[in-house]
Amino acid sequence: MDLFAQILTFAAEEAEEGGGGGLDLLLPPLNELIAGIIAFAIVFFFVWRWAVPAFNRMLEQRQKAIAGQLSEAEKAKQEAESLLADYRAQLADAKAEGNRIIEDARATAEQMRAEVIAKAEADAEQILAKARQEAETEKDRALSEARKEVGNISVDLASQIVGESLDASAHQALVNRYLAELEKM
Amino acid sequence: MDDRINGYAKGFLELARAEGSLESVESELFSIAETLESSPELRSALTDPQLPNDKKTAIVDDLLGGKASSLTVGLVHLLVDQDRASELPSIARALVEIAAASRDRAVAEIRSAVPLDDQTIERLAAALGKATGKKLEVKAVVDESVVGGIVARVGDTVIDGSVAGRFQSLRNAVQSR
Repeated sequence: MDLFAQILTFAAEEAEEGGGGGLDLLLPPLNELIAGIIAFAIVFFFVWRWAVPAFNRMLEQRQKAIAGQLSEAEKAKQEAESLLADYRAQLADAKAEGNRIIEDARATAEQMRAEVIAKAEADAEQILAKARQEAETEKDRALSEARKEVGNISVDLASQIVGESLDASAHQALVNRYLAELEKM
Repeated sequence: MDDRINGYAKGFLELARAEGSLESVESELFSIAETLESSPELRSALTDPQLPNDKKTAIVDDLLGGKASSLTVGLVHLLVDQDRASELPSIARALVEIAAASRDRAVAEIRSAVPLDDQTIERLAAALGKATGKKLEVKAVVDESVVGGIVARVGDTVIDGSVAGRFQSLRNAVQSR
């Protein structure tokens, strides 16, 4: 501003010194001005006619490309997210499935364990009962055998002792008793 | 088999009767049968198929030499030669029964542990005859396995008053408990 004011001041002083044309110093001569304007117009026309549209086209293409890339990126992101969500869901499913299988296996194992134990217990009980019964039968048999044997031995012994202890009078008494019973018949 | 035993018994009976020594043959055969039944050694010797028959007849001669009539010894020889020694007791019994039956009598076999006197045998014969309703011929046998008392058998009827019989019923009672 100061410079412009100085320039203006200087120009004014020059005009006053030069007499007629202070502003002439600043303004080009008219022919130059006209040539300049024409040249400018030509350049402007070229620029406006080809450069700008080309530039605009390029800009537009870039814009489009960027927008496309953006949307692709968006799409890829969405796809990625949906894939992620799928994976997460699958993972959760797999986890749940895994848990379910483990739970099933555990339940099956538990059931099998219980069945095996129950069967083993039943078998053991049966074997025990059978053994007990056999032992009982064997005991009874041995007892009755022993009883018979003892009975036989006792009777044999008694018979022997009686036979040896019978004297003539005892024999006669037995015969007499037999006779008496026979004569009563 | 019964036919064979009865055949032998009838044959012996006729032979003895023809020789007029039925009574002695009868009692001798009966006592031989008793000896055979009470002596397992003698029985197995006379029925041993390994032993030649001349050895068996030698045993018979040893046993009966001088004690029995020649007819009885001959009959026993016949049985040994025919390998029928094991049937001698049955044949003797059948002979006694057939002979008694021919006299219209039944045989009462009286077993006792000790020998009985004649009076007792007569009383037994009378009592048994009354009890069975038959006329009896008594054959008294001493059998130590009777232990004491008497076992009388008339035909199929057995009247057991022996100590052995009492013990047998005691044994049965003990075993059936």
